[in-house]
Amino acid sequence: MATKLDKPLRVAGEPWVWCTAMGLTLGMVMVVLLLGLIAWNGLSVFWPKRVDLVTLRAGSQAGIGGSRTLAGELVKRQERTAPTERGTYEIQLFVGNRDAYDFSFKYLDEADIESRATPPELMVIERMEGGDAIGTPVRLMVKGESDLAADAGAFLSRLRAQVEVAQARRAAILRVEKHEIGAINRDLEDANRALRNPSADRVRIDGEVAKLQQRYAELADQARQLRAAQADDQLILRLATGEERRIALGQIVDYAWPNQLSTWQRITASFHAGWNFLSENPREANTEGGIFPAIFGTFVMTLLMSVAVVPFGVVAAIYLREYAKQGTWVRMVRIAVNNLAGVPSIVFGVFGLGFFVYVVGGSIDSLFYPEYGSTPVFGTGGVLWASATMALMTVPVVIVATEEAIAAVPRGAREGSLACGASKWQTIRSIILPASAPGILTGLILAMARGAGEVAPLMLVGVVKLAPTLPVDSLWKATDVVPFVHLDQKFMHLGFHIYDLGFQSPDSEAAKPMVFATTLFLIVLVLVLNLGAILIRERLRRRYALGAF
Amino acid sequence: MTWFIKVGGALVIIAVCTIFIFILMQILPLFRGASVRATGTVPVPAGDYLALGIDEWGQLPFLVERSGKAVFIPVDEGAAAATHDLKLEAGRSIAAAHYDALSHQLMLGLDDGRLLVSEILYSSADRDGRQVIESGIKQVFDLRFGELAAPIVDVAFRDAGSAKLAAAILDVDGARSVRALTLVQPVVLGRKGTVKVGADLDLTPELAGTPVRVLVNASADSVVVATTEGEIFCFAVGEDGFALRQRFAPFADAPTPTIASIDFLLGGVSLVLTGADGRNEIWSLHHPAGEHERRFGRVATLDPLPGGGATWYDASVRNKAFLFGNDHSASLRFATTGHRRWEHKLDGPVAAGVINGKYDRLVLLDQATVEKTSPEKASPDQASPVKASQLRVFALSDPHPESSFATFFGKIWYEGASKPEYTWQSSGGSDDFEPKLSLVPLVVGTLKGTFFALLFAVPIALLAAVYTSEFMRPRFKLYVKPVMELMASLPSVVLGFIAALWLAPLIETRVPTIICAVALVPLVAMGFGWTWARLPVRMRAWLGQGYEFLVFVPILLASVWLAALLGPLLESAICRVPIGDPQAGQTIADFRLWWPYITGSPFEQRNALIVGFVMGFAVIPIIYTISEDSLSGVPKALRSGSLALGASRWQTAFQVVVPTASAGIFSAVMIGLGRAVGETMIMVMATGNTPIMDMNIFSGMRTLSANIAVELPEAPAHSTLFRALFLGAFLLFLMTFAVNTIAELLRQWLREKYKTV
Repeated sequence: MATKLDKPLRVAGEPWVWCTAMGLTLGMVMVVLLLGLIAWNGLSVFWPKRVDLVTLRAGSQAGIGGSRTLAGELVKRQERTAPTERGTYEIQLFVGNRDAYDFSFKYLDEADIESRATPPELMVIERMEGGDAIGTPVRLMVKGESDLAADAGAFLSRLRAQVEVAQARRAAILRVEKHEIGAINRDLEDANRALRNPSADRVRIDGEVAKLQQRYAELADQARQLRAAQADDQLILRLATGEERRIALGQIVDYAWPNQLSTWQRITASFHAGWNFLSENPREANTEGGIFPAIFGTFVMTLLMSVAVVPFGVVAAIYLREYAKQGTWVRMVRIAVNNLAGVPSIVFGVFGLGFFVYVVGGSIDSLFYPEYGSTPVFGTGGVLWASATMALMTVPVVIVATEEAIAAVPRGAREGSLACGASKWQTIRSIILPASAPGILTGLILAMARGAGEVAPLMLVGVVKLAPTLPVDSLWKATDVVPFVHLDQKFMHLGFHIYDLGFQSPDSEAAKPMVFATTLFLIVLVLVLNLGAILIRERLRRRYALGAF
Repeated sequence: MTWFIKVGGALVIIAVCTIFIFILMQILPLFRGASVRATGTVPVPAGDYLALGIDEWGQLPFLVERSGKAVFIPVDEGAAAATHDLKLEAGRSIAAAHYDALSHQLMLGLDDGRLLVSEILYSSADRDGRQVIESGIKQVFDLRFGELAAPIVDVAFRDAGSAKLAAAILDVDGARSVRALTLVQPVVLGRKGTVKVGADLDLTPELAGTPVRVLVNASADSVVVATTEGEIFCFAVGEDGFALRQRFAPFADAPTPTIASIDFLLGGVSLVLTGADGRNEIWSLHHPAGEHERRFGRVATLDPLPGGGATWYDASVRNKAFLFGNDHSASLRFATTGHRRWEHKLDGPVAAGVINGKYDRLVLLDQATVEKTSPEKASPDQASPVKASQLRVFALSDPHPESSFATFFGKIWYEGASKPEYTWQSSGGSDDFEPKLSLVPLVVGTLKGTFFALLFAVPIALLAAVYTSEFMRPRFKLYVKPVMELMASLPSVVLGFIAALWLAPLIETRVPTIICAVALVPLVAMGFGWTWARLPVRMRAWLGQGYEFLVFVPILLASVWLAALLGPLLESAICRVPIGDPQAGQTIADFRLWWPYITGSPFEQRNALIVGFVMGFAVIPIIYTISEDSLSGVPKALRSGSLALGASRWQTAFQVVVPTASAGIFSAVMIGLGRAVGETMIMVMATGNTPIMDMNIFSGMRTLSANIAVELPEAPAHSTLFRALFLGAFLLFLMTFAVNTIAELLRQWLREKYKTV
C-alpha cells in the first residue's frame, strides 16, 4: 500500500482547483491590502514626523532663495521620472512656510544633498492661515515687556501662557463674530421679511432694526479690538533660509519641537492631533483643521433617514410576510423591492432632486414661505430631502432584513399566541415584532452604513463642501434652549468631504493627508456599523437556535 | 390595522412606480413638438409692406412700408402704436428691406441704389407697475452702391464689429450687377465716427446667370449670391479685394433647379434653402475631410415644405429654429436636428412671419401683396393692388426646441463639424454655443466601464465562490465570507479616491508589470497545481485539502514580485519609441508613449484599466456572495453521488455542481452587472470623464451615472439639459430594471427547480 501511495496519483482537474484558490486569495489580499493602505496612510497623518535640516552641496541651485539649507518633513523618496546621470532618486520635503516661500512642498535630487540632520531646536507651528511654519525660534516679543530670547529659561513657560491667552481670545472672537453677530443678522433678516408684509407695524419694526443695528455696531467694534489684540504678541522665527519672520501668537493653533519628542510623547501627540481632527472645524478651504461639521452632518442625515426608513420598511415587511396572500401580487412586490435595491443610487438622487426638492419643496415654499420671494427655503437641497432620498434608497435593506427576522420567528410562538385568543395584530405587536427586533436593528444598521457611505445622490440633494452652520441650532442664543433641527439647511457629509478634498481642492497634494484621515474615519465608521450588524445577526441566530419550541 | 399594513405594502410598489413615472414625466416634454396656439388677429392699416420685424417680447411688431414708413402695431395692451418716418428723400421708395433682430438693424435698399441702415430702438419701461414697450428709430448711415442711381433688387449688410460689409444686387438698365462695399468706421477717442466706404467691389464678372438674392455672413467677410438659374456663388470679400470661393447648385438634381429661398440661420454659418418644389435643405460651412478651407456642404435634408418653395422666412435669435412658409403652409423647424416643431396649413396667403426674441410668440402677416425680396418674386413693379391685411398672433410654447429622438440617440451634424457625430458637450465657452446632447457616448462609456469591471470581477468572484463552496474547509467559510462581504461595504467614494489619487499614478508607470502579473498569476497558479498534483501523496497529505488558498498567499506575492521584475525588462525590450531625430535611431522605452505610437489610441492616467480594477471591489463581493449561496444550495446528494462514482472533486464541482447552480450564477453576474452599470463615484473620480467613444483600455470614458453627478447640480431646473440628464437616469433605471428582473426571475425559477431535486 505504501508503495502505491508514493507514486504520483493523478487527480483530474487539480490545477483548476488551484486556480479557484487563486481567485479567493486574490479577493482576500485585495481587501486586506486596501484596508491596510488606508489605515497606514490615515494613521500616519497624525504621527509627528521628524523635521530634517538638509544642507545642499555647494553650487546646487535647488535651494530656496539661494540658501544652502532647507528644513522640512520628508514626505517621500521616489525614482525620478527621467533619471539623470546625477542619480535616480529624489525626495519630496514638506517645507511649510507657504507665506514665505509661496509653496509648501519641494522636490530635491538626492545628488544635491550634502547632509541631513535633525537638530532639536527646529519648531513646527500650526497656524490659522498659511499652513505650518517650520523654523528655529529666536525670541518672543510680548507687548509691554522686554523681548525674551529663545534660550532664556522663562521662554517656554511664557510662550505657553501667551499662546493660551491668544487662544482664549480667539474663542471669544468666534463667539462674538459668529454667534452673536450671526444671531443679529438673522433677526435683521427676519425684520426685513416682516416689513414686506403690508400689514406690518412699521414703526415698531424700524425701532427694533435700529436697536439691532446699534448692537451690531457695538459687537463689531468689540470683535475688531479683540482681533487687533491678537497681533500684540509675536514670536520671531528664523527659517532654514536664514530669513526671520514674525508670527503673531494669535495665529498659532499648536506648536511642537518634533525632533525632541520621545516615542511616548509622539503617541500622545498623535492622539491629541486625532482628537483635534475629529472635534474641530475645517480651516483653509478644508485642507487643515478638523472634520467635525462633516461628522455631525452625516450623523444628523443618517438619524433622520433612520426615522423615516424604519416604519416604512417594517410595515412593508410585515405586510409581505403576514398579510399578503402569496400570489402574483406578492411576487410583483418582491420583484419591486429587489428592483428598488438594484436601482443605481444616482437615480435616487435624480428622483430626490426632481421630486422632493423641486416638486414637494417648491410647493412648500409657495404655500408657507411666500415672504421669502425667489429665495428658496425648502425648494433647494437640504438635510430633510437628503434624508428622504436616502430613506427611499435604503428601504429595501430594511424590508429584506425584517422579512428574514419575521420568517425566523418560530411558528409555535405565533400559533400559541393566536390560540390564546390574540388577534393577528396583537400577535404581531407583542410576539413577532419583539422577537424580530434584532433583525430590524440589523437592517437599520446596514441602512445607516449605506447612508453614511453613499455620496452620489447626496451631491444632488443638499450636500455642500462647507456649511457655515450646523443643521442643528445650538444653545448660545438665549431664547433657543431647545436644540432646533433646521431641516432646510444644507449640510456637510464625510463621503462628500473626501470627494471634495481629493478632487475639487486647489492644492490636492496638500489636501491628501486630510483625505486619507477622513477616509480612515469613514471606513472605520462603516465597518463598525457593518460588523455590528453581523454580530447582531449572529446573536439572533443563536437565540432562535436555542429558543425553538 | 390590517388596512394600515396593506397600505404600507402598497406604498412600496407605489414608490417604485412613482420613481419610474416621475422620471418618465420629466423626460416626456423632450419629445413633444412645439405647441402653437392662435391668440388673435390685429388689423393692419392698408399699405404695401416689405418687411416684418418684432421686438424681443413679441408685443410690438412693425411693418416697413414701401413709401418709407415703419408702422408699429401693438398686439398686446402694453405696447404703444407708432409710425416712424424712415427719412427717405422725396420721391424715393424702398425696393428691398430686411430686419436683423439680433442687431436690431433695419436694412433698406432704395430705388436709387442707396442702402439705408437704421436701428430700431425698442425699450421696455415700467409705467404704473405695467410693462410698456415703446419704439424708436435711429438712422445709422446711408451710402450708395456705385455711381449709378440704379434701383436695388436685394441688399444685405452685416456689422461684425471691426469688419462691416454691405452687398447689393442692382438693376442697371435691365442687367443685374452685384456690388460689395467694405465699410470702415474709425473709432476716435472711444467714439465711433462716421461710416466710410473702404473698398468698392464689383462681383458681377465672376457670376453666371441672373442674381436675385444676396447675403452677407455673420463675420462680414463673405458674400453669398443666389441666381435664378439655381446656382449659389460664395465670395470671400475683404479690404483688398474678393475671390470666388465656392460655386454650387444645391438643387441640381431637381426637376426645376431654382432656389426658392435662401437665408442664414442664427450664427450666420448655415444656409436654409428651399427649392421650387418645397424641398428644404441646410447647407453649412465646414471643413470637409482633408481640406483647409471651409466650404458649404449639405448637412441636412429636411422634410419638404408643403405647397412649394418658401416665400417668407425668419430665424430665431435664440436658437437654431426657423420659421418659414409660403401661401399654403407655415412651418417651424429646428435646423440642427431637422425636426419639424410645428406645421400649419394656412387658409389664406401669408406674406411674412416672425419669431420674437424670447421664442414664445409667432406673428404672421396676412397680406396678398407684400413684396418680399425672395428670389422667385421678380421685381417691384409687379406688385398688385393693396388689400386689407392683418397680423395673426400665435402663442408659442416650445421649451425644448433642440431636443428630439435624434438629438439623444442619433448622429447629428452640428455646425462646424465635418461629419455627423455622436457628441455630448453640454456647455461651451461662448454665448452662441450649441449644446450637444447625444447620450450615445455616455451609454458606450457605461458599457465600457461595465465591461472592464466585469472582465476583472467575474473570473475572480466566480473562482472564489467555487473554491469557497466546493473545496475550502467549511470552518474557514465563517471568516472568509464576512471578509469578502466587508468589501461590499466599502463606500464607493473611498474606492474612487484610492483609484484616482493612489492607484492611477502608481499604475501609470507600471503597465508592463500589470500585464506581466495578469499573465503570470494564473499561470503560476495552474503550474503550481499541476506540479502539486504530481507530488507524492505523502507530501501532499502534509497539506490537507481545503487549505490551498492559504498556501497561495506567498505564491501570489512571489508572482507579483516576479512580475514587477519582468515588467521593466519587457518594457525596455518591446515598448521602444523613437525620440528626437529619426535618423539618429534614438529610442526611449516607455509604455505610455509606446501605446499611442503603436495603436494610435491615447494613453491616459485615469483609464478603463484602473476603473475595471477598482470596480472589482464593488462588484466582486456581490457576485461572490450570490453565486456562493446558489452553489452551496445545490443538494448534497448530487455531490455525494458524483464523488461516489469516482469523479474527482474538480469534476464534481465543474460538471455537476456548477451546471446545477448555473442559473443562480448567471443571476449573480446580472446583479453584479446592474451594480456596475449604476456605480457613480468611482466613475466620477477615476475615469477622467471625457465623453469619448472607444473601447481602448488605456483611455477614460464618461458614464451615464457620472454624467448625472457631474452635470445635474449645475443644470438649471427644467432646462433641456436637466431633462436630458433625467433621460440618462431613466436609461440607467431601465437597464438595471431589466437586468435585475431577469436575475430575480432566474432565481425564482432556480428555487422552483431545487424543490424537485
